[in-house]
Parts: sequence; structure tokens; C-alpha cells
Amino acid sequence: MKSTADVNRVVEEYADMVRRICFVHLKNSHDTEDVFQNVYLKYLLYEGSFASGEHEKAWFIRVTINACTDWLRKLSHRKCLPLEIIAEESEIQDSFSDDILEAVLQLPEKYRNVIYLFYYEEYTAVEIAKILGRKENTIYTWLSRGKEILRRQLGGEWA
Amino acid sequence: MNKLQKSMNSIKASNELKAGTLRYLEERREAKRDGERTGNKTGNRMGHRMYAPRFALALACLLLLIGTGGYTFYGRPVTYVSIDVNPSIELGINRLGRVVSANAYNEDGQKILEQVELKNLPYPKAVGLLLDFETAENYLSENSLLVFTVVSENAEAVTQKLAGISSPRSAAVLTYVSDKECMEEAHQHAMSFGKYRAYQELSEYDGSVTVEDCHGMTMGELQNRIEGCRRHGGNGSQTQSGDGNSGHHGGHGGHHRGGF
Repeated sequence: MKSTADVNRVVEEYADMVRRICFVHLKNSHDTEDVFQNVYLKYLLYEGSFASGEHEKAWFIRVTINACTDWLRKLSHRKCLPLEIIAEESEIQDSFSDDILEAVLQLPEKYRNVIYLFYYEEYTAVEIAKILGRKENTIYTWLSRGKEILRRQLGGEWA
Repeated sequence: MNKLQKSMNSIKASNELKAGTLRYLEERREAKRDGERTGNKTGNRMGHRMYAPRFALALACLLLLIGTGGYTFYGRPVTYVSIDVNPSIELGINRLGRVVSANAYNEDGQKILEQVELKNLPYPKAVGLLLDFETAENYLSENSLLVFTVVSENAEAVTQKLAGISSPRSAAVLTYVSDKECMEEAHQHAMSFGKYRAYQELSEYDGSVTVEDCHGMTMGELQNRIEGCRRHGGNGSQTQSGDGNSGHHGGHGGHHRGGF
């Protein structure tokens, strides 16, 4: 189990990134809180160690994406959502005035991940392939398809 | 800074979210410590709580499957034995050789089944019990004819086993093998398939005989009619030579006295 000092440090260091990945996947702030806490709980209970800061960051990215995917899978099995959550989600979606963000959130999940990691976190395709445990060619394909969709929606110089 | 970075820079974890998470993690840390102190693994288990309902559901499904499969295996008869004297009783026997159904096809049979519990007994024991009761109630005597008719994939072994069951009185005994089609036809006429087989045999010699006529006859009376027809070559409506063992009513018969 990780020490309190370690936990405080990683919360300070990766909280914004974890929150952004949650946002990219879940949009809903109510779900974000649960997934956010789950990610840090996994860290608290993680028995392994990290070779470097980059290794640690990549671990957080992978764990957060997996936690979001699990959460969405669980959500898809839920027959009904509480009304306040639906209202909240609708308010959040209505509040987007940013075309780029809105277009990224409309992308299929796999393209969303690579676009976020490539443009926001500035990872290379090779690094993204390692983080997501996919083949480099797959990442190149997803990246180019994601970019193409965004280019069609936002015009040539969107990024 | 690219446009996506500009768009997303405003998305940050609030101080409230961070503080709430730190509180939550401390609670979990405490719970885990308490669990370790008291020797149970509560802390670890809590981490897996989200999987517990899925596991429980899978376990429940498995148990249901085993339960249903077990019930189907145990409760489904694979062998049927029709025991006819005048009481006509059919036993359904499962793969384990236990009686899982007992049905009477006339009033005498009904009276017996109201007094004798045969279900779940190994079938040789159930048949022995039934014969004892029929003897005690004078359904079965030296002058009676007891007919076992078997429908089974393993009819020969069942027939042999039935031949090894002893009865207090030495009644004449016949054993036949029949089939499911014959059994279904018999049940449409509310008759045991043992007696129905005998009716079919008789009807080959005597075209005027009806199922209703046979309902009121004992197996001894039916057999006497069959043997009478055989001796006299039938009444002109005979359709087949009287070995009594071919076709629908068929299977093979065995006749012996006193071995039961």
C-alpha cells in the first residue's frame, strides 16, 4: 500500500490529467468523481513500483482509460439513469461553446484516446502504442482517421 | 500550445474533488488496516466489491444450471415398465434405476398407488413391494398372469432384472419389450402400454375386439383369448400369424412360471 505522502504527491501531479481523461470519456461530472476516486484507489493498493516519472504517468493514463471503459460498460448494463444525472449531463453538453472540444467528444472512443494523447499530452504514436498496448500501425490508423474526421468538421487548420 | 490544449486547459480537477479523494483514500487505508488487524481481508475485499455482484450472479447461474441439470438427470425417466395383472401400473425409471413416476391405468391400480409409495425406490425394490402388496390384496394368485412390458434402450437388462424379482405366490409371468410409439398410443386410450400391447396382439387374431373391451379384462383373460385364437387360427379376421412379437405390439416375449 502506498504511503500518504506518495498519494498526496500523485493527486497533486496527475489530478488534472486524470480529470481530463475522465471528461473525454464520461462527460458526466457525477461519474467522473467515482472513476477519479477508483483510479487513485488502484494506485493506493498498487504493490508495484515505477521505474520513472514517465512510467508512473503512463500507468495513470492506462488505468484511467481502463477505469472509464469499465464504468461505461457497467453503465450500459444499467437500465435507467437517475433524472438528475441526465439533466446534469444535458446541461454540461449544452454549455460547450468550444467547437474543437465538442468535435473531439463526438469521436469514437478509440480515436478520442489517441487524439487526446497525441495533441494534448504530446505523446508520439510509438509511445501511445506502448501506453495502450496496441500495435503502432493501429495507432497510426486511428490517429489518421480521427484527424480526418476532425478536419472534415472543423476545417484544415483545426489543431 | 495547440488548439486542443487551449480548449482543454480549463478542465481541471477541482480542489473539492482532490480533497474528497484524499479523504476517501484515507478511509480506505484505515479500513484495510482494521481488516488486517482483525485478521480478515476486508480491506482487500472492498477493492473487489464492484466484482462481487457479477461473481454472485455467475455463481447463482452455475448453481441453477447444476440444479436444473441434476433435476433433469434425476427426474427424467428413461425406462418404463408396465406391470399388469388386473391392476395396471406403469413405472418411470431414471438413469440411476430409481422410480421417478408411478401411474395407475385402472381403478385397481389407483387403489394400490394410494397405499404404496414407490417413488425414489430402486425399481427392483419397488416392483417387489408392489407384487407383495398385490399378493396380499389377492390381485396376484397362482391363477393370475403377471405381465411385465418394458420400454427402454436397455430393455434386455431391465427384463433380466425383473426376472430376478421373487413374488410370494407363483403366478405365471410374461415379459415383453415394447416401444415409445406403442406407449403413446396406449396412453391416448388411457391404457397401460402392457395391456395395450396385449390388445394389439389379440386384435390381429380377432378384428372385432376393441380397446374398450380390453379395458375390463384382466391380463389372464386377455392372454386366454389370445391363446384361444392362436389355437383356432383366429376368427377369420386374422392379419398375421400369431407369434405375437412383431411390429408395433412387438418386441419379444418370455414366458415362465414361478420364478418371481
